[in-house]
Amino acid sequence: MTRLFSFRRIGALLLGVVLASSVQAADKLKVAAIYPSPVGDVGWAFELDRGLKAIEAAFPGKVETSYVENVSEGPDAARIMNQMAARGAKMIILGSFGYMNDGLKLAKRRPDIKFIHASGYQVAKNFGNFQTRNYESAYLMGMASGYVTQSNTLGVVAAYAIPEVVGIINAFTMGAQSTNPEVNVKVVWLNAWFNPTKAQESARSLIAQQADVIFSLYQDTPSVVTVGEQEGVFVINTSSDMKKYAPNHLLGSMTISWGKYFVAQTQAVLNGNFKGSPFWGGVKDGAVGIGSLSDKLSSDQRAAIMATMADIGSGSFHPFNGPVIDQNGKERVAGGSAISDSDLLGINWLVRGVQTRIPN
Amino acid sequence: MDSLTFILAGTLAAATPLILAALGELVVEKSGVLNLSIEGMMATGAAVAFVVATLSGSAFFGFAAAAGAAVLLSLVFATLVLIFLANQVAAGLAVGILGLGLSALVGKRFEGTTIEPVARLDIPGLSDIALLGKVVFGQDLLVYLAIALIIVITRMLARTKLGLIIRAVGEAPNTAHAIGYPVLLVRYGCVAFGGALAGIAGAYITLSYTPLWAEGLIAGRGWIVVALVVFGTWRAGRIALGGYLFGAVSLLELSVQGFGLAIPSQILSASPYLITIIVLALISRDIRKTRLNSPASLGIPWRAGD
Repeated sequence: MTRLFSFRRIGALLLGVVLASSVQAADKLKVAAIYPSPVGDVGWAFELDRGLKAIEAAFPGKVETSYVENVSEGPDAARIMNQMAARGAKMIILGSFGYMNDGLKLAKRRPDIKFIHASGYQVAKNFGNFQTRNYESAYLMGMASGYVTQSNTLGVVAAYAIPEVVGIINAFTMGAQSTNPEVNVKVVWLNAWFNPTKAQESARSLIAQQADVIFSLYQDTPSVVTVGEQEGVFVINTSSDMKKYAPNHLLGSMTISWGKYFVAQTQAVLNGNFKGSPFWGGVKDGAVGIGSLSDKLSSDQRAAIMATMADIGSGSFHPFNGPVIDQNGKERVAGGSAISDSDLLGINWLVRGVQTRIPN
Repeated sequence: MDSLTFILAGTLAAATPLILAALGELVVEKSGVLNLSIEGMMATGAAVAFVVATLSGSAFFGFAAAAGAAVLLSLVFATLVLIFLANQVAAGLAVGILGLGLSALVGKRFEGTTIEPVARLDIPGLSDIALLGKVVFGQDLLVYLAIALIIVITRMLARTKLGLIIRAVGEAPNTAHAIGYPVLLVRYGCVAFGGALAGIAGAYITLSYTPLWAEGLIAGRGWIVVALVVFGTWRAGRIALGGYLFGAVSLLELSVQGFGLAIPSQILSASPYLITIIVLALISRDIRKTRLNSPASLGIPWRAGD
């Protein structure tokens, strides 16, 4: 009995401390973020963190940001979210798809906390989600690849065949075909989100099969990029710019930028008018772009790429403008129309010109 | 480079870390100790090697530091199981997790950075021979070291006095003790040797095979090593065969995907594990002989006088 009593006393004491500290910091909005991987110098978590820093910079003195990195999806993530909530966070950024269910549970229990969640599909009053239209920048880098390839063979190192990745490969292929109709695309599926060693082996196997442009699709480390530099073939990177890892052979990077969206959401929380909604940001929103285009592209070629980017931004061009034909010769998007967002979100077929089959 | 050269030359390199660590674990298990912390020791070795080599600019210091760090970890494990008679499976898992955590801590500041890989052998003339040149004469030193070690360890265990002592300690520690062999010292030595090789195997991954550091880089290779020792029925030659087979199939799988054959990639991804296990199980199907090779007191805590 005495033991139980002392536990209670400690609990009460702790509660007191927590309350006291939350009262002290009540004047600042606490924004907490949780990332699935270490922040590092490049990659997914690094980009999320850049967004978090943008919040800090946009509201000096008004917000207090913090993050926890490398949190595996599951019980660990749930524990850390609850801890953030207990420490008075009023806005929580969930940096991975797998945080969705735990985040949603917490959001239902704590309507006073606003959540934004990466790459999910759930929406609630205080729970929004965000994704980027990376297929737009993939199309642009496809154009660049079509210009530079000598062997007419492009290689893609990809993680899993989820719709987002499939859409990116399709856009990349169509972009390449727009500048070089002869192009073939080979894909290696890693069937793992994180395995830099296997990613490098895959890149080398593609190079051995005459690919002279390698597309590092969602590889968070410079694994594939360094192979490109070593073997002297062009590489394209996703998420972060990796110019410094392949100064001579980076064809360009597909970049994402969360700053604008994060700042707008924080503003909404500060104004008290946050409303959970899905955000699918593209070139138009400044969320997606390309960087470090290689100077081995001629100025005309670069101008053509930038013109297409402007057209995508203005909405006058869509990478999935019909007719789009799949690997089996079936017309998936009719001429004169573009694919709908809902079709694109569930895309499970590859376009003609991709040699590898989709795993099913 | 064509696909065939890629697979042949790549296999030797891909299998090298597995074989190095597995030969170390073989010696450990032959002395009667089951060390399941390979994954953690490899990760620590990989991180320490990367950090030391980056800071000092010397790959040699990197390898040495990796071996040293992994030996320290293995000594923690040895003390737990040999002195305090902790359960070997539990202690191995615990030290393995400790090693994974340590690797993250040590490599924290170097997350996602790259390093110049260790130079490959390049003999003018020989290394340029079509197909075989790159395979036989174009590897880095550790690839050759692994091959040499297969022969050395096979002979050591089978033909030398040291090998006999290690096996005696692993088969019947009481008997070995009774005739005056220092059982604990032998086991300590074997565990440390296994640790050193696991550390070097990890270092090989960050300094040569995948010259970059990222947390989780080892990605389960330590467990493949443990499986190789068991499925290779505690014989160095078969363990090496398993290692090379695993390396070859995992590279072949990637090439097959690129060729666009209509085999689901999930099956291809699983194929290195399946094929290695099937082949090793087939060649070791004589249970009597297998039992002969398996150390009789593997994993059993031992104290003098019990």
